[in-house]
Amino acid sequence: MSTPTGTHGGMAIFNIHHGFVEALVRGMRSSFLADADYHHITQCENLEDVKLNLTETDYSDALADMTSISPSDLQKVANEKLVTEFKYLRTQAVEPLSTFLDFITYEYMIENIMLLLKGALSGRNINELLASCHPLGMFKDSTMRSIPTFEPNSKGFADLYQTVLVDTPVGPYFAMFLQESSNAMGGEVRNVIEEVEIEIIKSSLIKYWLEDFAQYAEKLGGETAVMMGDILKARADTNAINITLNSFGTPLNEPAMRSSDRKRLYPAVGHLYPMGTSMLSDVSSEEELGRVLELFPQYASIWNIHAAGTDKSIDDAFYERDVQALELAFEGQMHYGVFYAYVKLKEQEIRNLVWITECILQAQKDEINKFVPVFSHHAPWRGAKAR
Amino acid sequence: MSASACNSPYCNQGWGELLSHLSPYGYANFGIAFGLGFSVVGAAWGIWLTGSSLVGAAVKAPRIRSKNLISVIFCEATAIYGVIMAIILANKIKKPETEGSYLPDNWDYNGMYFAGYGMFSAGLSVGLTNIASGVSVGIAGSSCAIADAQDASLFVKILIVEIFASALGIFGIIVGIIESNACTFPIAAMDN
Repeated sequence: MSTPTGTHGGMAIFNIHHGFVEALVRGMRSSFLADADYHHITQCENLEDVKLNLTETDYSDALADMTSISPSDLQKVANEKLVTEFKYLRTQAVEPLSTFLDFITYEYMIENIMLLLKGALSGRNINELLASCHPLGMFKDSTMRSIPTFEPNSKGFADLYQTVLVDTPVGPYFAMFLQESSNAMGGEVRNVIEEVEIEIIKSSLIKYWLEDFAQYAEKLGGETAVMMGDILKARADTNAINITLNSFGTPLNEPAMRSSDRKRLYPAVGHLYPMGTSMLSDVSSEEELGRVLELFPQYASIWNIHAAGTDKSIDDAFYERDVQALELAFEGQMHYGVFYAYVKLKEQEIRNLVWITECILQAQKDEINKFVPVFSHHAPWRGAKAR
Repeated sequence: MSASACNSPYCNQGWGELLSHLSPYGYANFGIAFGLGFSVVGAAWGIWLTGSSLVGAAVKAPRIRSKNLISVIFCEATAIYGVIMAIILANKIKKPETEGSYLPDNWDYNGMYFAGYGMFSAGLSVGLTNIASGVSVGIAGSSCAIADAQDASLFVKILIVEIFASALGIFGIIVGIIESNACTFPIAAMDN
Protein backbone atom coordinates (compact mmCIF):
# COMPACT_ATOMS: atom_id res chain seq x y z
CA MET A 1 0.00 0.00 0.00
CA SER A 2 1.57 3.30 -1.02
CA THR A 3 1.82 6.07 1.52
CA PRO A 4 -1.10 8.41 1.22
CA THR A 5 -0.68 12.03 0.31
CA GLY A 6 -3.11 14.66 1.42
CA THR A 7 -5.32 13.76 4.31
CA HIS A 8 -4.51 11.20 6.93
CA GLY A 9 -7.83 9.43 7.15
CA GLY A 10 -10.29 9.13 9.98
CA MET A 11 -10.59 6.58 12.74
CA ALA A 12 -10.61 3.50 10.56
CA ILE A 13 -7.43 4.10 8.58
CA PHE A 14 -5.33 6.55 10.63
CA ASN A 15 -3.53 3.79 12.50
CA ILE A 16 -2.39 2.10 9.34
CA HIS A 17 0.39 4.62 8.75
CA HIS A 18 0.52 6.66 11.92
CA GLY A 19 -0.61 4.26 14.63
CA PHE A 20 2.87 3.47 15.89
CA VAL A 21 4.10 7.03 15.99
CA GLU A 22 0.96 8.34 17.65
CA ALA A 23 1.10 5.60 20.28
CA LEU A 24 4.77 6.52 20.88
CA VAL A 25 3.99 10.14 21.58
CA ARG A 26 1.07 9.18 23.81
CA GLY A 27 3.37 6.93 25.78
CA MET A 28 5.69 9.90 26.18
CA ARG A 29 2.84 11.76 27.86
CA SER A 30 3.69 9.84 31.01
CA SER A 31 7.13 11.43 31.05
CA PHE A 32 5.78 14.83 32.11
CA LEU A 33 6.48 15.84 35.69
CA ALA A 34 3.48 15.27 37.93
CA ASP A 35 2.11 17.44 40.70
CA ALA A 36 4.01 15.41 43.27
CA ASP A 37 7.28 15.94 41.41
CA TYR A 38 6.78 19.69 41.25
CA HIS A 39 5.92 19.66 44.92
CA HIS A 40 9.15 17.86 45.82
CA ILE A 41 11.28 20.07 43.62
CA THR A 42 9.89 23.33 44.92
CA GLN A 43 10.64 22.21 48.46
CA CYS A 44 14.33 21.69 47.68
CA GLU A 45 16.89 23.87 49.34
CA ASN A 46 19.67 23.60 46.78
CA LEU A 47 20.25 22.34 43.29
CA GLU A 48 21.74 19.03 44.39
CA ASP A 49 18.42 18.11 45.96
CA VAL A 50 16.67 19.09 42.75
CA LYS A 51 18.91 16.75 40.81
CA LEU A 52 18.22 13.98 43.30
CA ASN A 53 14.48 14.44 42.93
CA LEU A 54 14.71 14.57 39.18
CA THR A 55 16.46 11.20 39.05
CA GLU A 56 13.19 9.62 40.10
CA THR A 57 11.39 11.05 37.11
CA ASP A 58 11.85 10.45 33.42
CA TYR A 59 14.91 12.73 33.47
CA SER A 60 17.06 10.17 35.27
CA ASP A 61 18.90 9.01 32.15
CA ALA A 62 19.43 12.52 30.89
CA LEU A 63 20.86 13.74 34.18
CA ALA A 64 23.06 10.72 34.79
CA ASP A 65 26.11 12.24 33.11
CA MET A 66 25.77 15.66 34.63
CA THR A 67 28.32 16.52 37.27
CA SER A 68 27.42 20.09 38.04
CA ILE A 69 23.89 21.33 37.82
CA SER A 70 22.92 24.87 36.97
CA PRO A 71 19.77 26.22 35.38
CA SER A 72 21.38 26.62 31.97
CA ASP A 73 22.88 23.12 32.11
CA LEU A 74 19.53 21.70 33.08
CA GLN A 75 17.88 23.52 30.23
CA LYS A 76 20.45 22.20 27.78
CA VAL A 77 20.08 18.61 28.96
CA ALA A 78 16.29 18.77 28.95
CA ASN A 79 16.30 20.29 25.47
CA GLU A 80 18.56 17.53 24.20
CA LYS A 81 16.20 14.94 25.66
CA LEU A 82 13.27 16.58 23.85
CA VAL A 83 15.25 16.71 20.62
CA THR A 84 16.18 13.02 20.86
CA GLU A 85 12.54 12.08 21.36
CA PHE A 86 11.43 14.34 18.51
CA LYS A 87 14.02 12.91 16.14
CA TYR A 88 12.87 9.40 17.03
CA LEU A 89 9.31 10.38 16.15
CA ARG A 90 10.46 12.06 12.97
CA THR A 91 12.36 9.01 11.70
CA GLN A 92 9.34 6.81 12.26
CA ALA A 93 6.92 9.15 10.50
CA VAL A 94 5.68 8.89 6.91
CA GLU A 95 3.91 11.47 4.77
CA PRO A 96 1.93 13.55 5.52
CA LEU A 97 2.99 13.35 9.15
CA SER A 98 6.64 13.94 8.25
CA THR A 99 5.78 17.25 6.59
CA PHE A 100 3.77 18.19 9.65
CA LEU A 101 6.70 17.45 11.95
CA ASP A 102 8.99 19.42 9.65
CA PHE A 103 6.68 22.40 9.98
CA ILE A 104 7.21 22.27 13.72
CA THR A 105 10.98 22.53 13.19
CA TYR A 106 10.78 25.50 10.80
CA GLU A 107 10.02 27.81 13.70
CA TYR A 108 13.31 26.87 15.33
CA MET A 109 15.17 27.25 12.06
CA ILE A 110 13.92 30.83 11.76
CA GLU A 111 14.96 31.53 15.34
CA ASN A 112 18.43 30.09 14.76
CA ILE A 113 19.02 32.09 11.59
CA MET A 114 17.93 35.29 13.32
CA LEU A 115 20.17 34.44 16.29
CA LEU A 116 23.15 34.01 13.99
CA LEU A 117 22.47 37.26 12.15
CA LYS A 118 22.00 39.22 15.35
CA GLY A 119 25.13 37.66 16.81
CA ALA A 120 27.07 38.57 13.70
CA LEU A 121 25.94 42.18 14.06
CA SER A 122 27.18 42.35 17.62
CA GLY A 123 30.32 40.44 16.80
CA ARG A 124 29.98 37.39 19.01
CA ASN A 125 32.08 34.29 18.51
CA ILE A 126 30.66 31.90 15.95
CA ASN A 127 31.14 28.80 18.09
CA GLU A 128 29.36 30.41 21.00
CA LEU A 129 26.49 31.28 18.73
CA LEU A 130 26.28 27.78 17.34
CA ALA A 131 26.20 26.34 20.84
CA SER A 132 23.21 28.49 21.75
CA CYS A 133 21.20 27.57 18.68
CA HIS A 134 18.17 25.39 19.18
CA PRO A 135 19.02 21.80 18.15
CA LEU A 136 15.75 21.20 16.36
CA GLY A 137 16.43 23.89 13.82
CA MET A 138 19.97 23.14 12.77
CA PHE A 139 21.16 22.92 9.20
CA LYS A 140 24.42 21.45 8.03
CA ASP A 141 27.39 22.81 9.96
CA SER A 142 28.85 24.51 6.88
CA THR A 143 25.56 26.25 6.21
CA MET A 144 25.26 27.44 9.77
CA ARG A 145 28.81 28.76 9.80
CA SER A 146 28.36 30.66 6.58
CA ILE A 147 25.34 32.65 7.76
CA PRO A 148 27.13 35.16 10.02
CA THR A 149 29.78 35.78 7.39
CA PHE A 150 27.43 37.83 5.22
CA GLU A 151 27.57 41.58 5.50
CA PRO A 152 24.84 43.06 7.66
CA ASN A 153 23.45 45.33 5.00
CA SER A 154 20.87 45.07 2.28
CA LYS A 155 23.15 43.61 -0.37
CA GLY A 156 24.50 41.09 2.12
CA PHE A 157 21.03 39.98 3.06
CA ALA A 158 19.95 39.54 -0.53
CA ASP A 159 23.14 37.55 -1.16
CA LEU A 160 22.50 35.47 1.96
CA TYR A 161 19.11 34.58 0.62
CA GLN A 162 20.31 33.75 -2.88
CA THR A 163 23.20 31.55 -1.86
CA VAL A 164 22.29 29.94 1.44
CA LEU A 165 18.69 30.35 2.46
CA VAL A 166 17.03 29.53 -0.81
CA ASP A 167 17.94 25.86 -0.35
CA THR A 168 16.61 25.64 3.17
CA PRO A 169 12.97 24.78 3.91
CA VAL A 170 12.42 28.27 5.29
CA GLY A 171 13.64 29.89 2.08
CA PRO A 172 10.13 30.67 0.82
CA TYR A 173 9.41 32.73 3.95
CA PHE A 174 12.51 34.87 3.32
CA ALA A 175 11.52 35.23 -0.31
CA MET A 176 8.08 36.45 0.72
CA PHE A 177 9.60 38.84 3.22
CA LEU A 178 12.00 40.32 0.70
CA GLN A 179 9.21 40.58 -1.84
CA GLU A 180 6.89 42.34 0.54
CA SER A 181 9.57 44.71 1.79
CA SER A 182 10.61 45.66 -1.70
CA ASN A 183 6.97 46.18 -2.65
CA ALA A 184 6.45 48.45 0.30
CA MET A 185 9.57 50.44 -0.52
CA GLY A 186 8.52 50.81 -4.10
CA GLY A 187 10.79 48.23 -5.64
CA GLU A 188 13.93 49.03 -3.73
CA VAL A 189 15.34 45.78 -2.42
CA ARG A 190 18.61 47.47 -1.55
CA ASN A 191 17.27 49.43 1.37
CA VAL A 192 15.57 46.59 3.11
CA ILE A 193 17.91 45.91 5.97
CA GLU A 194 19.01 49.38 6.78
CA GLU A 195 15.62 50.48 8.03
CA VAL A 196 14.33 47.21 9.39
CA GLU A 197 15.49 45.64 12.62
CA ILE A 198 16.18 42.00 13.19
CA GLU A 199 13.22 41.59 15.54
CA ILE A 200 10.82 42.87 12.95
CA ILE A 201 12.27 40.51 10.36
CA LYS A 202 11.78 37.67 12.80
CA SER A 203 8.16 38.67 13.49
CA SER A 204 7.45 38.76 9.76
CA LEU A 205 9.02 35.36 9.19
CA ILE A 206 7.11 33.80 12.06
CA LYS A 207 3.95 35.30 10.61
CA TYR A 208 4.57 33.64 7.24
CA TRP A 209 5.39 30.37 8.93
CA LEU A 210 2.17 30.49 10.97
CA GLU A 211 0.05 31.17 7.92
CA ASP A 212 1.73 28.40 5.97
CA PHE A 213 1.32 25.95 8.82
CA ALA A 214 -2.34 26.87 9.33
CA GLN A 215 -2.98 26.38 5.64
CA TYR A 216 -1.34 22.96 5.72
CA ALA A 217 -3.39 21.91 8.73
CA GLU A 218 -6.57 23.04 6.95
CA LYS A 219 -5.61 20.94 3.96
CA LEU A 220 -5.16 17.87 6.17
CA GLY A 221 -8.75 18.21 7.23
CA GLY A 222 -10.61 16.21 9.82
CA GLU A 223 -9.73 16.31 13.47
CA THR A 224 -6.26 17.71 12.76
CA ALA A 225 -7.66 20.81 11.08
CA VAL A 226 -9.97 21.44 14.03
CA MET A 227 -7.33 20.99 16.74
CA MET A 228 -4.42 22.69 15.00
CA GLY A 229 -6.70 25.45 13.80
CA ASP A 230 -7.54 26.32 17.39
CA ILE A 231 -3.97 26.07 18.61
CA LEU A 232 -2.46 28.09 15.78
CA LYS A 233 -5.14 30.74 16.04
CA ALA A 234 -4.31 31.15 19.70
CA ARG A 235 -0.63 31.44 18.79
CA ALA A 236 -1.29 34.03 16.09
CA ASP A 237 -3.37 36.15 18.44
CA THR A 238 -0.68 35.96 21.11
CA ASN A 239 1.83 37.21 18.55
CA ALA A 240 -0.40 40.04 17.41
CA ILE A 241 -1.07 41.26 20.94
CA ASN A 242 2.60 40.97 21.91
CA ILE A 243 3.72 42.89 18.83
CA THR A 244 1.30 45.66 19.66
CA LEU A 245 2.26 45.73 23.31
CA ASN A 246 5.98 45.73 22.60
CA SER A 247 5.70 48.44 20.00
CA PHE A 248 4.59 51.09 22.50
CA GLY A 249 7.50 53.42 23.04
CA THR A 250 9.35 52.35 19.91
CA PRO A 251 9.33 53.98 16.49
CA LEU A 252 6.90 51.32 15.36
CA ASN A 253 4.17 53.06 17.32
CA GLU A 254 4.30 56.24 15.27
CA PRO A 255 1.03 56.84 13.43
CA ALA A 256 2.75 56.66 10.06
CA MET A 257 4.41 53.36 10.87
CA ARG A 258 1.37 51.76 12.47
CA SER A 259 -0.73 51.13 9.44
CA SER A 260 2.16 50.43 7.10
CA ASP A 261 4.72 48.50 9.10
CA ARG A 262 3.03 47.25 12.24
CA LYS A 263 -0.09 46.11 10.47
CA ARG A 264 2.04 44.00 8.16
CA LEU A 265 3.30 42.01 11.11
CA TYR A 266 -0.11 40.72 12.20
CA PRO A 267 -0.73 37.15 10.99
CA ALA A 268 -3.60 36.45 8.65
CA VAL A 269 -4.94 33.68 10.89
CA GLY A 270 -6.48 33.82 14.30
CA HIS A 271 -9.61 34.87 16.11
CA LEU A 272 -8.49 38.49 15.90
CA TYR A 273 -8.19 38.38 12.13
CA PRO A 274 -9.51 40.37 10.27
CA MET A 275 -11.61 42.66 12.43
CA GLY A 276 -9.42 42.64 15.49
CA THR A 277 -6.12 43.18 13.71
CA SER A 278 -7.44 46.14 11.76
CA MET A 279 -8.57 47.64 15.06
CA LEU A 280 -5.24 46.80 16.64
CA SER A 281 -3.34 48.58 13.93
CA ASP A 282 -4.82 51.88 15.10
CA VAL A 283 -4.02 51.36 18.75
CA SER A 284 -1.44 53.70 20.19
CA SER A 285 -1.51 53.13 23.93
CA GLU A 286 -2.37 50.51 26.50
CA GLU A 287 -5.83 51.92 27.25
CA GLU A 288 -6.82 51.75 23.63
CA LEU A 289 -5.44 48.21 23.45
CA GLY A 290 -7.54 47.30 26.46
CA ARG A 291 -10.64 48.76 24.83
CA VAL A 292 -10.08 46.75 21.68
CA LEU A 293 -9.49 43.53 23.61
CA GLU A 294 -12.67 44.01 25.65
CA LEU A 295 -14.57 43.04 22.53
CA PHE A 296 -13.04 39.56 22.53
CA PRO A 297 -14.06 37.60 25.62
CA GLN A 298 -11.09 35.26 25.85
CA TYR A 299 -8.61 38.11 25.56
CA ALA A 300 -10.56 40.41 27.83
CA SER A 301 -9.83 38.14 30.77
CA ILE A 302 -6.14 37.91 29.88
CA TRP A 303 -5.91 41.66 29.46
CA ASN A 304 -7.56 42.24 32.82
CA ILE A 305 -4.84 40.18 34.45
CA HIS A 306 -2.25 42.45 32.86
CA ALA A 307 -4.15 45.63 33.63
CA ALA A 308 -4.66 44.68 37.26
CA GLY A 309 -0.90 44.74 37.64
CA THR A 310 -0.66 41.73 39.91
CA ASP A 311 2.36 39.45 40.02
CA LYS A 312 1.14 37.46 37.06
CA SER A 313 2.49 38.89 33.86
CA ILE A 314 0.65 38.79 30.60
CA ASP A 315 3.11 36.19 29.35
CA ASP A 316 2.10 33.87 32.17
CA ALA A 317 -1.55 34.37 31.33
CA PHE A 318 -0.85 33.52 27.70
CA TYR A 319 1.13 30.44 28.73
CA GLU A 320 -1.73 29.27 30.87
CA ARG A 321 -4.19 29.68 28.03
CA ASP A 322 -1.82 27.84 25.69
CA VAL A 323 -1.35 24.93 28.09
CA GLN A 324 -5.11 24.56 28.39
CA ALA A 325 -5.51 24.40 24.60
CA LEU A 326 -2.56 22.05 24.13
CA GLU A 327 -3.74 19.62 26.81
CA LEU A 328 -6.98 19.29 24.88
CA ALA A 329 -5.04 17.84 21.97
CA PHE A 330 -4.30 14.79 24.10
CA GLU A 331 -7.98 14.18 24.73
CA GLY A 332 -8.79 12.90 21.26
CA GLN A 333 -7.10 10.21 19.22
CA MET A 334 -6.23 9.84 15.55
CA HIS A 335 -5.03 13.34 14.72
CA TYR A 336 -1.71 15.15 14.42
CA GLY A 337 -2.33 17.78 17.05
CA VAL A 338 -0.68 15.62 19.71
CA PHE A 339 2.74 15.98 18.12
CA TYR A 340 2.70 19.77 18.16
CA ALA A 341 1.18 19.74 21.64
CA TYR A 342 3.89 17.40 22.94
CA VAL A 343 6.72 19.63 21.75
CA LYS A 344 5.14 22.79 23.12
CA LEU A 345 4.15 21.26 26.46
CA LYS A 346 7.63 19.86 26.92
CA GLU A 347 9.00 23.33 26.25
CA GLN A 348 6.67 24.67 28.93
CA GLU A 349 7.95 22.04 31.33
CA ILE A 350 11.55 23.01 30.56
CA ARG A 351 10.65 26.67 31.20
CA ASN A 352 9.13 25.60 34.52
CA LEU A 353 12.25 23.68 35.53
CA VAL A 354 14.51 26.61 34.65
CA TRP A 355 12.27 29.00 36.61
CA ILE A 356 12.25 26.77 39.67
CA THR A 357 16.00 26.21 39.64
CA GLU A 358 16.67 29.91 39.13
CA CYS A 359 14.44 30.74 42.08
CA ILE A 360 16.24 28.21 44.25
CA LEU A 361 19.62 29.49 43.11
CA GLN A 362 18.72 33.09 43.88
CA ALA A 363 16.90 32.13 47.06
CA GLN A 364 13.63 33.76 46.05
CA LYS A 365 11.24 31.22 47.44
CA ASP A 366 8.15 33.38 47.27
CA GLU A 367 8.36 33.59 43.49
CA ILE A 368 8.84 29.90 43.03
CA ASN A 369 5.23 28.91 42.45
CA LYS A 370 4.74 31.13 39.46
CA PHE A 371 4.98 28.41 36.87
CA VAL A 372 2.28 26.70 34.86
CA PRO A 373 2.34 22.94 35.48
CA VAL A 374 1.42 20.61 32.65
CA PHE A 375 -1.33 18.02 33.07
CA SER A 376 -1.87 19.11 36.62
CA HIS A 377 -4.88 17.93 38.55
CA HIS A 378 -5.06 21.31 40.25
CA ALA A 379 -5.34 23.28 37.05
CA PRO A 380 -8.15 25.84 37.21
CA TRP A 381 -9.87 24.39 34.19
CA ARG A 382 -10.13 20.94 35.67
CA GLY A 383 -12.68 21.90 38.25
CA ALA A 384 -12.44 22.08 41.98
CA LYS A 385 -12.18 18.42 42.82
CA ALA A 386 -8.66 17.05 42.96
CA ARG A 387 -8.12 13.34 42.43
CA MET B 1 -31.78 -2.60 -16.87
CA SER B 2 -34.38 -2.34 -19.55
CA ALA B 3 -35.42 -5.31 -21.60
CA SER B 4 -32.60 -6.15 -23.92
CA ALA B 5 -32.74 -4.95 -27.48
CA CYS B 6 -31.37 -8.30 -28.59
CA ASN B 7 -34.06 -10.80 -29.59
CA SER B 8 -31.87 -13.71 -30.63
CA PRO B 9 -32.19 -16.86 -28.49
CA TYR B 10 -28.50 -16.55 -27.63
CA CYS B 11 -28.83 -13.20 -25.79
CA ASN B 12 -29.99 -12.96 -22.20
CA GLN B 13 -32.93 -10.82 -21.19
CA GLY B 14 -31.22 -8.67 -18.57
CA TRP B 15 -30.06 -8.95 -14.97
CA GLY B 16 -33.11 -10.73 -13.73
CA GLU B 17 -32.62 -13.61 -16.10
CA LEU B 18 -28.87 -13.66 -15.45
CA LEU B 19 -29.17 -13.81 -11.68
CA SER B 20 -31.89 -16.40 -11.66
CA HIS B 21 -29.99 -18.64 -14.03
CA LEU B 22 -26.78 -18.76 -11.99
CA SER B 23 -26.22 -22.20 -10.64
CA PRO B 24 -27.14 -22.68 -6.99
CA TYR B 25 -23.80 -24.42 -6.55
CA GLY B 26 -22.20 -21.18 -7.73
CA TYR B 27 -24.21 -19.17 -5.24
CA ALA B 28 -23.32 -21.49 -2.40
CA ASN B 29 -19.62 -21.47 -3.13
CA PHE B 30 -19.55 -17.71 -3.49
CA GLY B 31 -21.26 -17.52 -0.12
CA ILE B 32 -18.44 -19.52 1.38
CA ALA B 33 -15.85 -17.31 -0.31
CA PHE B 34 -17.45 -14.06 0.79
CA GLY B 35 -18.01 -15.32 4.30
CA LEU B 36 -14.44 -16.38 4.79
CA GLY B 37 -12.86 -13.57 2.79
CA PHE B 38 -14.69 -10.66 4.40
CA SER B 39 -14.24 -12.10 7.87
CA VAL B 40 -10.51 -12.31 7.38
CA VAL B 41 -10.42 -8.76 5.97
CA GLY B 42 -12.21 -7.50 9.05
CA ALA B 43 -9.96 -9.42 11.41
CA ALA B 44 -6.79 -8.30 9.65
CA TRP B 45 -7.90 -4.69 9.59
CA GLY B 46 -8.66 -4.82 13.28
CA ILE B 47 -5.32 -6.38 14.17
CA TRP B 48 -3.58 -3.79 12.00
CA LEU B 49 -5.25 -0.96 13.88
CA THR B 50 -4.75 -2.30 17.37
CA GLY B 51 -1.34 -3.88 16.88
CA SER B 52 0.36 -0.68 15.75
CA SER B 53 -0.91 1.24 18.78
CA LEU B 54 0.00 -1.62 21.09
CA VAL B 55 3.58 -1.73 19.85
CA GLY B 56 3.98 2.04 20.06
CA ALA B 57 2.48 2.43 23.52
CA ALA B 58 4.55 -0.47 24.87
CA VAL B 59 7.78 1.43 24.20
CA LYS B 60 7.26 3.67 27.22
CA ALA B 61 5.09 1.28 29.25
CA PRO B 62 6.24 -2.31 28.69
CA ARG B 63 3.83 -3.71 31.25
CA ILE B 64 0.89 -3.44 28.84
CA ARG B 65 2.30 -5.95 26.39
CA SER B 66 0.68 -9.17 27.60
CA LYS B 67 -2.65 -7.81 28.80
CA ASN B 68 -3.42 -5.97 25.59
CA LEU B 69 -2.99 -9.03 23.44
CA ILE B 70 -6.61 -9.69 24.42
CA SER B 71 -7.61 -7.00 21.91
CA VAL B 72 -5.77 -8.91 19.21
CA ILE B 73 -7.49 -12.12 20.27
CA PHE B 74 -10.88 -10.46 19.98
CA CYS B 75 -10.05 -9.43 16.42
CA GLU B 76 -8.85 -12.92 15.64
CA ALA B 77 -12.17 -14.32 16.87
CA THR B 78 -13.96 -12.66 13.99
CA ALA B 79 -11.78 -14.57 11.55
CA ILE B 80 -12.58 -17.79 13.42
CA TYR B 81 -16.30 -17.12 13.00
CA GLY B 82 -15.70 -16.89 9.28
CA VAL B 83 -13.83 -20.19 9.24
CA ILE B 84 -16.56 -21.93 11.26
CA MET B 85 -19.24 -20.72 8.89
CA ALA B 86 -17.18 -21.71 5.86
CA ILE B 87 -16.64 -25.26 7.18
CA ILE B 88 -20.31 -25.70 8.01
CA LEU B 89 -21.36 -24.49 4.59
CA ALA B 90 -18.72 -26.46 2.73
CA ASN B 91 -19.91 -29.66 4.35
CA LYS B 92 -23.42 -29.06 3.09
CA ILE B 93 -22.43 -28.85 -0.56
CA LYS B 94 -22.76 -32.34 -1.99
CA LYS B 95 -22.08 -33.59 -5.46
CA PRO B 96 -25.13 -35.10 -7.17
CA GLU B 97 -24.89 -38.82 -7.90
CA THR B 98 -26.50 -38.73 -11.35
CA GLU B 99 -24.81 -39.95 -14.48
CA GLY B 100 -24.97 -37.83 -17.57
CA SER B 101 -24.80 -34.07 -17.96
CA TYR B 102 -28.39 -33.17 -17.13
CA LEU B 103 -30.31 -33.51 -13.93
CA PRO B 104 -33.36 -35.80 -14.13
CA ASP B 105 -36.84 -34.31 -14.26
CA ASN B 106 -37.86 -35.42 -10.78
CA TRP B 107 -34.91 -33.65 -9.21
CA ASP B 108 -35.63 -31.59 -6.08
CA TYR B 109 -35.10 -28.26 -7.82
CA ASN B 110 -36.85 -26.33 -5.07
CA GLY B 111 -34.53 -27.69 -2.44
CA MET B 112 -31.50 -27.06 -4.60
CA TYR B 113 -32.28 -23.41 -5.26
CA PHE B 114 -33.30 -22.90 -1.65
CA ALA B 115 -29.97 -24.29 -0.53
CA GLY B 116 -27.98 -22.16 -2.95
CA TYR B 117 -29.57 -18.86 -2.04
CA GLY B 118 -29.58 -19.70 1.66
CA MET B 119 -25.92 -20.47 1.79
CA PHE B 120 -25.03 -17.32 -0.18
CA SER B 121 -26.94 -15.21 2.27
CA ALA B 122 -25.47 -16.98 5.28
CA GLY B 123 -21.94 -16.44 4.03
CA LEU B 124 -22.58 -12.80 3.23
CA SER B 125 -24.18 -12.12 6.59
CA VAL B 126 -21.19 -13.53 8.44
CA GLY B 127 -18.68 -11.75 6.22
CA LEU B 128 -20.14 -8.27 6.34
CA THR B 129 -20.84 -8.28 10.06
CA ASN B 130 -17.33 -9.46 10.73
CA ILE B 131 -15.80 -6.57 8.76
CA ALA B 132 -17.69 -4.10 10.92
CA SER B 133 -16.89 -6.01 14.08
CA GLY B 134 -13.21 -6.35 13.26
CA VAL B 135 -12.70 -2.65 12.52
CA SER B 136 -14.67 -1.67 15.59
CA VAL B 137 -12.67 -3.93 17.89
CA GLY B 138 -9.48 -2.62 16.29
CA ILE B 139 -10.24 1.03 16.98
CA ALA B 140 -11.37 0.29 20.53
CA GLY B 141 -8.32 -1.89 21.10
CA SER B 142 -6.01 0.86 19.94
CA SER B 143 -7.51 3.31 22.41
CA CYS B 144 -7.39 0.62 25.09
CA ALA B 145 -3.66 0.08 24.67
CA ILE B 146 -2.91 3.80 24.77
CA ALA B 147 -5.13 4.38 27.81
CA ASP B 148 -3.72 1.39 29.64
CA ALA B 149 -0.21 2.77 29.17
CA GLN B 150 -1.22 5.90 31.09
CA ASP B 151 -3.54 4.48 33.74
CA ALA B 152 -3.81 0.77 34.41
CA SER B 153 -7.28 0.95 35.89
CA LEU B 154 -8.75 1.93 32.54
CA PHE B 155 -7.99 -1.37 30.85
CA VAL B 156 -10.94 -3.40 32.10
CA LYS B 157 -13.40 -0.59 31.44
CA ILE B 158 -12.37 -0.16 27.83
CA LEU B 159 -12.31 -3.94 27.40
CA ILE B 160 -16.08 -3.89 27.98
CA VAL B 161 -16.41 -1.62 24.96
CA GLU B 162 -14.47 -4.17 22.94
CA ILE B 163 -16.67 -7.02 24.16
CA PHE B 164 -19.73 -5.22 22.87
CA ALA B 165 -17.99 -4.57 19.58
CA SER B 166 -17.08 -8.21 19.11
CA ALA B 167 -20.67 -9.22 19.84
CA LEU B 168 -21.50 -7.87 16.41
CA GLY B 169 -19.63 -10.75 14.84
CA ILE B 170 -21.53 -13.24 16.97
CA PHE B 171 -24.81 -11.85 15.64
CA GLY B 172 -23.63 -12.61 12.13
CA ILE B 173 -22.68 -16.18 12.79
CA ILE B 174 -25.87 -16.92 14.76
CA VAL B 175 -28.03 -15.72 11.90
CA GLY B 176 -25.84 -17.56 9.42
CA ILE B 177 -26.15 -20.87 11.24
CA ILE B 178 -29.91 -20.57 11.63
CA GLU B 179 -30.26 -19.72 7.98
CA SER B 180 -28.07 -22.46 6.67
CA ASN B 181 -29.56 -25.16 8.90
CA ALA B 182 -32.33 -25.96 6.49
CA CYS B 183 -30.13 -25.85 3.43
CA THR B 184 -29.06 -29.18 2.02
CA PHE B 185 -28.22 -29.96 -1.54
CA PRO B 186 -30.04 -33.02 -2.91
CA ILE B 187 -27.82 -35.80 -4.17
CA ALA B 188 -30.32 -38.11 -5.81
CA ALA B 189 -33.59 -37.73 -7.64
CA MET B 190 -36.75 -37.82 -5.60
CA ASP B 191 -38.47 -41.19 -5.42
CA ASN B 192 -42.02 -40.23 -6.23
